[in-house]
This record gives sequence, C-alpha cells and structure tokens, in this order.
Amino acid sequence: MSKFTKEMVDDYAKKLLISLTDEENKMVLDEFEYIDESINVINKIEGIEKVEPMTHTLDDFTFELREDEVEESIPIEELLRNADETDGREIEVVKVVGE
Amino acid sequence: MKFLNKSIEEIHESLKNDEVTSQELVQESIQKSKELQEKCNAFVTIIEDAKGVSVTENLLSGIPYGVKDNYSTKDVLSTGSSNTLADYVPFFTATSVQHLKDAGAVMVNKTAMDEFGMGGTGTTAHTGVIRNPWDVTRMCAGSSSGSAAAVAYGVYPYALGSDTGDSIRKPAAYCGIVGYKPTYGLISRYGLFPFASSLDHCGVLTRSVRDAAIVVDTMKGQDKYDMTSWDSSSVHLFEATKKPLLGKKLCYIKELCDIKNFPDATDELKDHLANFFKTVELCKELGLEVEEVSIDQTLLNASASVYVVLSCAEATSNLSNLTGIIFGKRGEGNTWKEMMMDHRTKGFSPLIKRRFVIGSYVLQKENQERYFKNAARVRRLLVDTWKNLFQTYDAVILPVGIGPAKPLEGSKEMIGKMSEELQALDEHLQIGNFGGFPSITIPNGFVNGLPVGVNLTSNCKEDELLLNIAYHLESKMPYKGQTCEVKKNEL
Repeated sequence: MSKFTKEMVDDYAKKLLISLTDEENKMVLDEFEYIDESINVINKIEGIEKVEPMTHTLDDFTFELREDEVEESIPIEELLRNADETDGREIEVVKVVGE
Repeated sequence: MKFLNKSIEEIHESLKNDEVTSQELVQESIQKSKELQEKCNAFVTIIEDAKGVSVTENLLSGIPYGVKDNYSTKDVLSTGSSNTLADYVPFFTATSVQHLKDAGAVMVNKTAMDEFGMGGTGTTAHTGVIRNPWDVTRMCAGSSSGSAAAVAYGVYPYALGSDTGDSIRKPAAYCGIVGYKPTYGLISRYGLFPFASSLDHCGVLTRSVRDAAIVVDTMKGQDKYDMTSWDSSSVHLFEATKKPLLGKKLCYIKELCDIKNFPDATDELKDHLANFFKTVELCKELGLEVEEVSIDQTLLNASASVYVVLSCAEATSNLSNLTGIIFGKRGEGNTWKEMMMDHRTKGFSPLIKRRFVIGSYVLQKENQERYFKNAARVRRLLVDTWKNLFQTYDAVILPVGIGPAKPLEGSKEMIGKMSEELQALDEHLQIGNFGGFPSITIPNGFVNGLPVGVNLTSNCKEDELLLNIAYHLESKMPYKGQTCEVKKNEL
C-alpha cells in the first residue's frame, strides 16, 4: 500500500493555500510514489550528511546598507491600478480582525 | 526588405547607411510576429504600436527585440504566461530591460513561456502550446519557448530569456540558435518574476555568439535593487569575441557522452552523440586540447532530483505573494483565506500545483533534512566537482539534451520517466544554475533534419573566456546566423 494518501496530498496543497480537484489530487497521488523514489536518489550518496548545504551560487557577496535617504517613489495611483478593489488610496479587503 | 534575419552589427550598418529606418524594421518585426503567432503561438502580446527610434552609435539602437513575459515591463502586460497574472500591468520596468531601452532598443513583443518558467516543454502557457518553427509537431523546449521560436524565425536578432534549470540553453538548442546565461549576478534580476531565486538567471537568445555578447554587455551591471548583482564594469564581452582564441583546454564527461552508457539509445541519440564528437574534433582543429574526464555516476544521476527539490521548494515561497489581493484577479470568498485560496486554485495550472505540492512535501518539518537539506548538500558536491574541473580546464563541453526537439504529442510534463543515465544527460545543464556558472549553447548541426546544440560552461566570472571560446568554435561551423522557415509538417 502506498505511504501517500489523498489526505496527505490535500494537506500539502492546503498549506500553500491551494485546493486540488479530485482529478488533480489523483494526478499527484499517482505520481507521488515515483516522485518520492526519484528525489530519494539524493540520499544514495555516501557521507552526504557531512556536507555543508549550499544555498547561494557565489560566496563573495558584499552586503552594503544603503544610506537612509528618501528616494523617488512610484505614485500611489499606479501602485493601485492592478488591485481589483480599492477605496481611495487604499486596497479594500474583507474584514480581517476578529476571525 | 529583409534585414531582421541578419546580425546586430549588419542591421546597425544598414541603419547607419540609411538602407532601412528603425520604423521600417519595427514594422517588419511586427509583421513577422503575426506570421509566427499564426504558426507557433509564440507570443502573449504583440506591441502593435511600437515605434522606431533615432539611431545612435549604439549597436542596439533602433533595432527591435522581444522580451520574455516574466520580465516586468512598465505599462505593458506581463503575465509570466499564468492565469493568475492574466491582466497584470507592471508599474516599473526590469533593470535589464531598462538598460536596453536606454540604449535605444525597441521592444516589439512579449514572448510566451512555460507558466512562471516552471516547465521545459513550452506546453504550459496560459495562451496555449508553443510550437517549434522548424517543425510545428515538435516542442521548442522551455521555458523561454516563445523567445527561441521568434529568434529562430527571424522576427528580430535577439530576445530575452530567463534560465533556472536550462530554460534559455535548451530551447536554443531545439531551435538551432544561441542561448547564453551569464554568471549569476552579472545581470540584475530586479523585475524578473522570481521562480527559484538562488537558481534564476537573466540571459539572451540570439543567432550568434557575438550578438549575445553585444546584448549582455548592455543588459548587465550592478543594481542597487538586486543585492546579488556585482560590479562588472571591467567585463567587455563584445571585445572578448574579437580576440584570438584565449582558451587552451576543454573537457567532456565520459558518463554523459559515451554511447555505451545508453544501451537503449535511439537513433537520434546515437546521431546526436556522434555529432558531438565531430564538434570535439573541430575544437582540436582550433588548437584546443580536449580531454575526457570521469565523474561519479551516482552524483550525476542525483542532479535532476536536486533540481526538483530545490526549485520546487524555492518556488512555493516565491509565489506566495500571488494572492489576488493587491494584483491579479480578485478571488471569491467571505474571508481573506477563502479569497486567496480561490484565486490560487483557479489561477494556477494543474502542473504548477503539482510542483507546489512537491515543494510543500520536501519542506515539511519531518522531510526537510532528508530532502531539502540533502539536496542542498548534493548541490555543493556537484558544484565543487565542476569547480575542480575548472582548475584544469577552461570550459566543460557537452551535448545539449538527448537529441533534437522532442515531439509535442505525448509530451505531458512528467518528472522522470526515463533511465537515470539518460535523464542525467538530458538535464545536466542544471549544474550551471547550481553553481551560477556562465554557460552558452550554440548550434552544432542537425539530427533527423532538426537542429541540435552543444554547450560550453566555464567558471564563475569567466564570461569573457567562455564567449571567446564559443565565438571561435562557432566560426568553425556553418550554423552561425541560421534561421528556419516554417514549412515542415505545417498544421
């Protein structure tokens, strides 16, 4: 029996605020055993646990803080034009407080 | 009039000599875009009101070009080929696109791609399947599919792409053109929709190495809005292509090139590898030493999985800002959570959702060590292995993929489904992203009547050396500047 269930797949999706249709869930579930086996190849390498994980391509970044100066900014009307629901200078959303 | 199938330098000359105007070029390019759209569905937007500009000494001035739809372009629809951003019009322009605009380059279209760059087939754009102009029953590969198709069709001399796994360099091979992804940080990523930030690169698709050098010379530069960009003011790629051959030694990897490693090889793969060794001979004729090296097969086989784990994990985080609240179509629901869920559920295609589920799975607390962290560890081993090669060799030379463009039929994006060895050959270009290495694909012949490519990859910040070698190798072959004509298997 598969170690993956429909509920697990739904849970992974739900954590990213996505719902899956039954069809989508099945597509993922059908492949999950294979995907799991395939990504498990990384664990076949001997002594892997001793290696330092690599998260960046270049190791010589120089981090410099910018001066705290006011810069030209984008007019608020332009920032708002992609939002479907606005009210004046603000984006309108449903009530968030009290949930 | 036919100028757009020429090189940037040639078009510039024609503009300077008044043989053609910028406006005429732009009109020709828009016309060609419409033609290609009919045949191959390569664009999200054709900018019909694009205008010619005055021509300066800058080689790019007045010349049309295309931009992949995951670059932010102010006042021009930028969808990333996703339904979630089907109506998104950015209020700023990506730094690299701004550099081109400042140089006088004229954007004439936004090219279609695999949704958010998360695919390698060109079949997942919200505007439909993108077809290969050499043979419309075949794929362009992806994700810079529309850019590759347009450059191969002669819509303009260059188009921008982005490359997280091989998204510039594989479509270039499948479409018989040049695809160049420079060292990580040479080009600012500000304004590029992020997919997997530690692997994402901006770059370009062209019909010659020198054109790639000219374009990237203009796109590059340190940017205060991208802290991973670095000062490259001493890097002059165009100049590097004018110098005599600078490279001395190349290597190829036995496990990826030896036909004996693929007992079930198709005829296309056999021809592709045989053709690769002809290119190796040309390198030797140029005066380069080319040596065979051997790499642990287990490590090579793990590369594709490392890519899946890291890219899916980073993507889940990067795309969490797609909520439909401040941009994108507002979802339905009584609470913010329901609204976001509705937007994301309806907006993302099933294939993207699958990648998200994988990303979510490998990031679960109980799985992080085994998958996410171990993938990052194997990434280091692979990068260290390549860096070790660069101690001895100027570049690694390898065939791109397992043959020419794959048929579209039966191409449903699947993870795996081929032998580990074959997959290692098909996907080794990802190692260039793991290390941020500069990497370029150039066309090196035909298999089964379709173009194939060869790739050269060098150490970080050795872009000049890489392009110099690529330029000289390209000059030994007859494929520089080639375009296709849509005639084979027309629908």
